[in-house]
Formats: sequence, C-alpha cells, structure tokens
Amino acid sequence: MDLLLWLEETAFSTWMRESGPAFFSTLVLHSVAMGFVVGVHVATNLRILGAAPRIPLSLMSRFFPVLWVNLVVVSLSGALLLVAYPTKALTNPVFYLKLTAVVAALFITRSFMKGVLQDPHTDAGRAGRRDRMLAALSLLLWAGAVTAGRLLAYTYNTLMASHLY
Amino acid sequence: MDALLDFSQKSGIYDFMHSTWGWPAVETLHFMGLSLLIGTVGLFDLRMLGLAKGIPMNSLHRLVPWGVGGYALNVMTGVMFVTSAPDQYLFNPAFQVKLALMGIAGINVLLFYRFPFDRVRRADAEADAPRAAKVAAAISLCCWIGVIVCGRLITYYRPPYHWCFWC
Repeated sequence: MDLLLWLEETAFSTWMRESGPAFFSTLVLHSVAMGFVVGVHVATNLRILGAAPRIPLSLMSRFFPVLWVNLVVVSLSGALLLVAYPTKALTNPVFYLKLTAVVAALFITRSFMKGVLQDPHTDAGRAGRRDRMLAALSLLLWAGAVTAGRLLAYTYNTLMASHLY
Repeated sequence: MDALLDFSQKSGIYDFMHSTWGWPAVETLHFMGLSLLIGTVGLFDLRMLGLAKGIPMNSLHRLVPWGVGGYALNVMTGVMFVTSAPDQYLFNPAFQVKLALMGIAGINVLLFYRFPFDRVRRADAEADAPRAAKVAAAISLCCWIGVIVCGRLITYYRPPYHWCFWC
C-alpha cells in the first residue's frame, strides 16, 4: 500500500489525473486501440467458425500487424491509466479478471498462429471442431475483457490509497 | 428533448438505464457493437487501402453483415443512452460531432455501393482497389475512428457548461 501511495503522489501520476487532456487522450487511445484489437479477433474467430468461408484462412494473419500495433497502444495507454489511478485498479478483482481474459485470449491466438492460421488444408471452409471451440472461447474471453474493462469505472472500492489514511 | 425523455420513461428504458447495472451493461454492449463494426467494415476498408492483398475483397465483404449487426446494436443502445439523459447529449459538442461523422459515413456508404463497389466485387485476390474505393475506404475509416473518439469524449464534456463556440 505504501508503494501505491508513493506512486500516486509522484508528479507524473498527479499530472495524469489532474490534467484533463492527458487523461482523456489516454482514455480515447485505449478505447480506439481496444476496438481494433477486439475487431481483428472478431473477424478471425468468425472466419474460423465458418463465416465468410472464401477468405483464405492462412492469409488472415496479414491483418495481424494492425493487431500488434494496437496491442502495443492498448498496453501503453493501459499502463498510463494504471499510473494515474494505481489503487483504483489494483484493489479491484475485476481488473485481474480483465487481464486474465486478455492473456488467455492471446494464448489462443498464438496457438491459432502455429496451427489453423497457417495450415493450407484448412484454407477453405470451416476449421476443425477443436479450433471452432477455441474460436468461440476466444470471442467469449474478449466479451469478458470488454465487460470487465467497462465495469472498472463502476466497481472500484478504493479510488486512491491516500483515502485509506 | 421532452419528447425523447417521454419516450424513454414510458417505454421503461429510463428506469432500466438508471438502475444499478443498466447503464454499464448497455455501455458494454455498445462497445461490443463497435468492435463488430471495426472488425468487419474496418478490415474491409484496410484491404481496399492495400493491406492484406491476397485476400479477395469480395470474400472479405461477406463479413460486412456482421458489422451491420453491430451498427444496429449500437443504434439501439445509443438511443437508450440519448433518450435517458438527453440534456447530456444534445448540447454536447462531442455528441454533435459524432452525429455529423455518422452522417458523412452514411453518405459515403451510399456512394460506395452506387459507384466503385461493382468493380471491387469483381477484383482479383491480389488486385489493387479502384481509386474511388480507396477514397471511400479512407473516409469510412476516418469517420468510424472519429465516431469512437467522440463517443469516448462525450463523458469529458458536461453540459450545460458549453465548451464549444457554436453552443
């Protein structure tokens, strides 16, 4: 708790909180980039589940540079938002749920990249049963991450560590 | 504005939105709709702009109905927000710009399907999109990104303190 108190009293954390434009531009970047991260996953998973079957599955990863760039933006802006209100997120179980969902979904993506997304046998039509289950799970995990992310604004129990003293 | 509030209150939307989890739940759905739109229409736009050549534009266009579904979800959830707190939206510059961008995006969609779409549909997997399609794709991407930015900024502006010069 002392560490959180120290962090939120640093000049940078205070500036992130109190300068309206700094906080809101970070929030905007986080939302837009998250839209693209989830969006690329929505398209890829829908394709694996059998939608738009004439998209060659092995070429879907050509959209992944968009995913990686936006994942970097999401992580950096997320870290800045965390620096602004460290206690608010770190004392809220929903924050850990969100991180877990994102990491689990990215592991599924990694397994797709080694498998169904580069296997020419599954290029056309629907992917195998196991991959379809994983794609559905990935969609659920992203829905969970989005839900948890939105709920962070409503479910926190302590806004600032200094409020505990 | 009274008519909007009246609609919300009589339909029960108002009570639902102002219940404990109503507003956050609908916000969450609104973000899911946005992700559907970006993931389908956004990727189709990026392909027309030259990314991911090798994927036939025609095959990628088959994902667009999912984006239309996301758009419909967001119109519905959006109406729920606006009618449940109209004063926070109608006088809000972020919301006004958001509506204007949606209008431009709408006209852009009509022009796209009227003119370059036929050539896009018949193009080869490796083909470059026609110039008109590229322009439409760029306008579409800019508008939808702008719509998300404005949507997020709605909470930054708190009417009735008017921040913009035309309010």
